[in-house]
Amino acid sequence: MTKKLTRIGNLVIGRRRILQLAGGTTIALTAPSYWRKLSAQEKRIVVRDPGGPYSAGFQEAFHTDFKKATGIESVGVAGQHEPTSLIKGMVDTKSYTWDMALLSRAAHDQLLGEGNYLEKLNVDTPSIRATAAHFKTDFFAGNNVFTAMYAFRTDHFKGNEPKTWADIWNVKDFPGRRCLRKHPFDTIEMALLADGVPGDKLYPLDIPRALKKLDQIKKEVAVWWTGGAQTSQLLKTGEVDICTTWNARAQTVIDENAPVKIVWNQNLWSSEGWCIIRGTPKADMCREFIKFAVDGERQAKWTKHVSYGPTHPDAFKYIPEATAKKLPTYPENFKTAIQADAVYWGKNKDKVTEQFESWLLS
Amino acid sequence: MSALAQRLRPWRAAWPLIPVLLFLGVVFLYPVGQLLMLSGLEKGTSVLTLAHYERLFTSNLYFRVLVITLETSAWCTFFAIVGGYPVAYLLATTSERRRNNLMIWVLLPFWTSFLVRTFAWIVLLGRNGAINKWLQALGLTDAPLALIYNFTGVMIGMSHALMPLAILTMVSVMENIDANLPRAAATLGARGGQAFWRIYFPLSLPGVAAAGLLVFITALGFFITPALLGGRLQTMITQIIITQVQELLNWAFAGAVSMLLLVTALIVFYFYDRALGMSTLAGETTTSQGGGRRNPIAAIAAWIGDILLGLIGRICDAVSIVYERLVPRPADRLTRQWSRTVLGVVAFLIIGFLAAPTFFIVPVSFTTDAFIEWPPKFYSMRWYDAYFDSPIWMAATVRSLVVATASAGLAMLIGAPAAFVLVRQRIMGKTAMLAFILSPLIIPRIIIAVALFYFYARVGLIGTSIGLILGHAVLAIPYVVVTVMAVLKNYDERLDQAAGSLGATPLRTLWHITIPLIRSGLVAAFLFAFITSFDELTIALFVSGGLATTLPKQMWDDALLKVNPTLAAVSTILLVFITIVILLAEYLRRRSVVR
Repeated sequence: MTKKLTRIGNLVIGRRRILQLAGGTTIALTAPSYWRKLSAQEKRIVVRDPGGPYSAGFQEAFHTDFKKATGIESVGVAGQHEPTSLIKGMVDTKSYTWDMALLSRAAHDQLLGEGNYLEKLNVDTPSIRATAAHFKTDFFAGNNVFTAMYAFRTDHFKGNEPKTWADIWNVKDFPGRRCLRKHPFDTIEMALLADGVPGDKLYPLDIPRALKKLDQIKKEVAVWWTGGAQTSQLLKTGEVDICTTWNARAQTVIDENAPVKIVWNQNLWSSEGWCIIRGTPKADMCREFIKFAVDGERQAKWTKHVSYGPTHPDAFKYIPEATAKKLPTYPENFKTAIQADAVYWGKNKDKVTEQFESWLLS
Repeated sequence: MSALAQRLRPWRAAWPLIPVLLFLGVVFLYPVGQLLMLSGLEKGTSVLTLAHYERLFTSNLYFRVLVITLETSAWCTFFAIVGGYPVAYLLATTSERRRNNLMIWVLLPFWTSFLVRTFAWIVLLGRNGAINKWLQALGLTDAPLALIYNFTGVMIGMSHALMPLAILTMVSVMENIDANLPRAAATLGARGGQAFWRIYFPLSLPGVAAAGLLVFITALGFFITPALLGGRLQTMITQIIITQVQELLNWAFAGAVSMLLLVTALIVFYFYDRALGMSTLAGETTTSQGGGRRNPIAAIAAWIGDILLGLIGRICDAVSIVYERLVPRPADRLTRQWSRTVLGVVAFLIIGFLAAPTFFIVPVSFTTDAFIEWPPKFYSMRWYDAYFDSPIWMAATVRSLVVATASAGLAMLIGAPAAFVLVRQRIMGKTAMLAFILSPLIIPRIIIAVALFYFYARVGLIGTSIGLILGHAVLAIPYVVVTVMAVLKNYDERLDQAAGSLGATPLRTLWHITIPLIRSGLVAAFLFAFITSFDELTIALFVSGGLATTLPKQMWDDALLKVNPTLAAVSTILLVFITIVILLAEYLRRRSVVR
């Protein structure tokens, strides 16, 4: 231990950290000018990500190397869940606090449906061409796949593990506390799959049938979750025995050695990808970033931070098998996967949300 | 002409109202009004339509959720007031030294973020949570109790969050109640119960009324706690509005739902005001012998109140008489003492409830585990390392402290003088003005955030601390105005007149007489304003774009996949830091007084 330690009460703080504290203070106090400088500087773009482990993952996979390769600095900034209203505001007022963003396909559809809030990408590289068609549009270059599935506590279902969506509804053979999402997304699809609707005939969704199916377990649902972080907590503490969630949330619990297992059968996948915010003066620099980021080897780098699936087919060459098995686009996991239809939801979200909320309260 | 001049005269003395009205007019009414106006227009056009309002009536969803929201807020207010009153009474009637020590415990919930506190309750109240485990270990229950994911969970979480607000508001009023008045009642033959319920309690009513109002209106805007601690049936209207704004980009309909909420809340406020609250606060109708014009609702309320209080007083006395008969006590001891003991026990239980999540968070911050869990696995400093090693966390903390101090200062500067006028001057439209000042608390923050973004973009405040400070001051002003009004209500103006008659200028009187006497009310107002900013997430995100991040925003970003113990560590650090600041301030003050 060469670090000099300063003792403050019970807290032991390294001297380096005190210097950092001082540095942090300076940044905080000069933040506005910091931001203005940032936007005025020529070779800098601000890239939104969903925060948490994404930020660290993207820093390692993209931001550090992008600056070295192109001289353009890309600054990652965490923005809240589905930041569509903020992006609409930026375009409407031409105040670009962000230049581009990693958005879900649903957010992308919504911003386009609402009135052209995204810039056409117009980028073409061999890597982008190699990416499967369902991972890209003219305004969207896929980066990762996330999937809605369910996980269960193996200590509760010893020797009798649930395997299908129907098993969540089967209270007799699989007794246990259930947890569903308090949101129509995915939940409606899950009910229909459990009711025997084939995966390729899901859309357009039969809402009355789904709600009727949900009626069957309405009283059995112990917890209705509203946020992803909640589901990992619920699984970790064993508050519930079966819980629908997104795979990375369940994975983070499994990685902590909790007795939890993911059911990949008929998981519902969606993708997130790079979008440029319309009208940003730095659109061309953003295009450079996208050319750089859509790349198998680089995508492979963030998979150790976030357990979502890379969209580029080559990525798995660079991912160790142990990690690869956790990802939604791993061939074994992707086999029975069903794509959630963002276009359907874009058109029907408002009405279905209202129906679903009414159903919850009835 | 002269009639007009006469009507305008009170307004000349009311000039301190101008800054607050101007400020809220520019930074709140103008931007938010524009956004809410969308609710009367066809999407993307300027054609007038009632379609968005019609939709409110075509599905019964929105009214059901509105009713749930009102019920939840009303119950939460009830629990916060009933639980808070004994603590406030104890704080107001104990020695100053003891009060200051207890206050630190009452304030504890303030310094831990909403997110951390809510997760603390999740772990404490869960099926395998600490409380259920203890209950089962003690043999009190066989199976885990359903303490969470239902109405109970929401009430625990919300009344815990809002009780300090209620307590502080009530204490600042109770401190100014002349302790000689209940004593006078006693010498006239009133027993403890009668003296308390007929003398002390009515005098503390302005505090209760103000606390009730602030808690109720704040509770209307809650959505995180009900979402995380509630069940299927606990949907709050703010959640519906957020979904409309964020997920559906349907700002017009979001505006319509917000108007529904605003109008309902203002109707509630109107009746509340007439019945017991703010008109007594604003000093328009005084006690039951007030004379002159009195509105019938207040008259009925006062009549019922008198009967009720007399009754409660009699019941209390009867109970104490029965108790004394059953448990003979030495003749030299006073009745007061056993009622003090009961009060002490109740108050300490409630303070224990307020401190519970903190007792939980501090050990959890030293866990080796990557989750917030009970019992924590000791011992690791890794979560503190994660905090101190990250310039982002440090910068966010400092930035939040600076912004919160500045916006609280601004809110005090604008809000406190307005409160003086609202209490002391007779001007028209006082109730309407108060309703306007309160409305930033009723309008969901997401609406204010979006509106401010468009406004700031035009005036170049996007991404600035100034923009953030102004936005937070909008939310803080209602707390400042109501709290200062409550404490001024009981203030004896003759003290000021006495100072004036002895030759003090109004400014000297204010500085040497008024401010020292209402000090605790001012401190409470400042604290509310500070904490409003310190825990605010939405406006910060919209105004800053996330580049210069604040502490709550950093916490939410960090908690994307799971809530890890770094958040517990951050809360512990803040707790220690702020407690040291409070103790230091107290020490310095005491030293200066001694000198």
